[in-house]
Amino acid sequence: MKKAVISVQNMCKTYGEGEGAVTAIKEATFEIYAGETVALLGPSGSGKTTLITMIGCITQPTSGKLTLDGDLMYDEAWKIDDTRRIRREKIGFIFQAHNLIPFLNVMENVTIVPQMNGVKSDAANQTAKELLDYLGVGDKLTKMPSQLSGGQSQRVAIARSLANTPKIILADEPTAALDGERALSVMQLLRKLAHEQAVAIVVVTHDERMLPLFDRILRVEDGVVKEELGT
Amino acid sequence: MINLAWRDISHSLGKFITTALGVGLLIGVVLVMIGIYRGMVHDAMIVPNNIAPDLWVVQKETLGPFAESSRLHEDLKYSLKGFEGVSAVHPLTFQGVQIHKNGKPIRVYALGYESLSSFQPFTLTSGTAIKIRNREIIVDTKTGFKLGDEVHLGRNRYTVVGLTHKAVSSGGDPMIYLDLREAQELQFLFSNEQIRNDRERGGASNATAMVNAFSLTLKAGFDPKTVGDEIQRWKHQEVYTAQEQSDILTKNLIERSAKQIGMFTMILLIVSSVIISLIIYTMTMGKMKEIAILKLIGASNMLITKMIAQQSLLMGAIAFAGGALFANASANYFPKTVILIPSDGLKLFAVVIIISILASLGGIRSALKIDPASAIGG
Repeated sequence: MKKAVISVQNMCKTYGEGEGAVTAIKEATFEIYAGETVALLGPSGSGKTTLITMIGCITQPTSGKLTLDGDLMYDEAWKIDDTRRIRREKIGFIFQAHNLIPFLNVMENVTIVPQMNGVKSDAANQTAKELLDYLGVGDKLTKMPSQLSGGQSQRVAIARSLANTPKIILADEPTAALDGERALSVMQLLRKLAHEQAVAIVVVTHDERMLPLFDRILRVEDGVVKEELGT
Repeated sequence: MINLAWRDISHSLGKFITTALGVGLLIGVVLVMIGIYRGMVHDAMIVPNNIAPDLWVVQKETLGPFAESSRLHEDLKYSLKGFEGVSAVHPLTFQGVQIHKNGKPIRVYALGYESLSSFQPFTLTSGTAIKIRNREIIVDTKTGFKLGDEVHLGRNRYTVVGLTHKAVSSGGDPMIYLDLREAQELQFLFSNEQIRNDRERGGASNATAMVNAFSLTLKAGFDPKTVGDEIQRWKHQEVYTAQEQSDILTKNLIERSAKQIGMFTMILLIVSSVIISLIIYTMTMGKMKEIAILKLIGASNMLITKMIAQQSLLMGAIAFAGGALFANASANYFPKTVILIPSDGLKLFAVVIIISILASLGGIRSALKIDPASAIGG
């Protein structure tokens, strides 16, 4: 039996109150399993970012239930005291514009996450080096983000997202700033990671060319989340 | 754990240090202001300390001779010598005058003393004391005169026979020392025309045998307060102990200046703290995206607070170091004495550190308010 790493049940998000209230996500219910790559598709303003920030324990849902890696995170209220700890320990984030910390070098950008989890610097460095080697940027350890190309930066960002051995990776348009070839390479890499390391990967994307690389597609329109059949 | 504050600073080290040194100039001015106050207190005490009396006798109901003008008949010294416990009495005159060197006016403070006695209210660095009453003068090196130079004073010319160094009045004017008789002429002798006019008016006095104060040395074992009370009781003059005279100088005479300097120092400290706050706030605002990312990947509030507070503290510390260097390098170029005391520096350092911590609060508050979701586009 497949294990649901992300379980969302009847989750809603409403901004504002009364007549001005806007419902960004309406009764979303789905599950995402370990090793799966799932695309979150939808036009701008459809609620994709709201959904991903709720799964990432950044935005508090208005109602519903959220379970991550078997732990109940939200059930009409947060069930955990420290959402940042959950993010540090269970979730990796990849952004559209890589969003590396500009004043940290490649190695430090990756080791900062395990170090925040209390991993000693030697062990964190070892893990980071292995990850960066695996992602093909092992020769850039001491480079600053400004000295990397877009593709290299995104690989470092992926290494950072993996540095805490997360169960979930949430990626927000990770290929938007890359050309077709590099975008394809990054997506193939994410897919490989998902399968090899049993990580559930949720990717917000507009790029229809990448859709064949996903196991499933969730389409968000006007706050309604629907699974596309036949994917 | 990676030190985020230091990594951020080292990423733009030149900018950070330049900014901190800019603030350092303000801190340096604060140190100099405190040094000016210390210098004022020091200068005010140079003359009394050189005279080093046990008691000062001045005109009744005055705070003379430094804080208020005081006039006494010189022959009072004979009766003062008669008091039990008094070992020596030195009549003194004090007068602010203006002399010229190479056509440029110089404000000086003239002290007249009995030059032919063993009493020397100064410390010579070169030359000799006044040996004969023949228009000899001792001047401070700050006047620019050298041994053998001629100084025009009143209607006479004096020859420089001795030099002192850093002997100044409470106002910071360099000291000159004259024989008492010649100092009395300078202060009390009217012009011939005025003397004639006064005679016509009906016999105004032209007594020059006046002094401004007496300094009294007591025999060992006598209490200055007791002897002073006796003098006050019988001679109807004002008597101050050395400590009382010191208090008059430091508390009364320069109190207003000290308050002025204190106010200015406070304003500078407030300006410094506002500037540090603005710099730290601006630096933090410039890192909002990075802080949002850090929060998103799970950085604790403590880690972010530490980063901003450490930067603020480092800015304060560099600013203080720069300020201290500036103050020490510039202290000798000020026209008045500037005395920099390590304990003042330490106290100011503590104040700067407190200011730095307070200055970081605005930036920390804004950083903690940042929504980590702002790191995600869409």
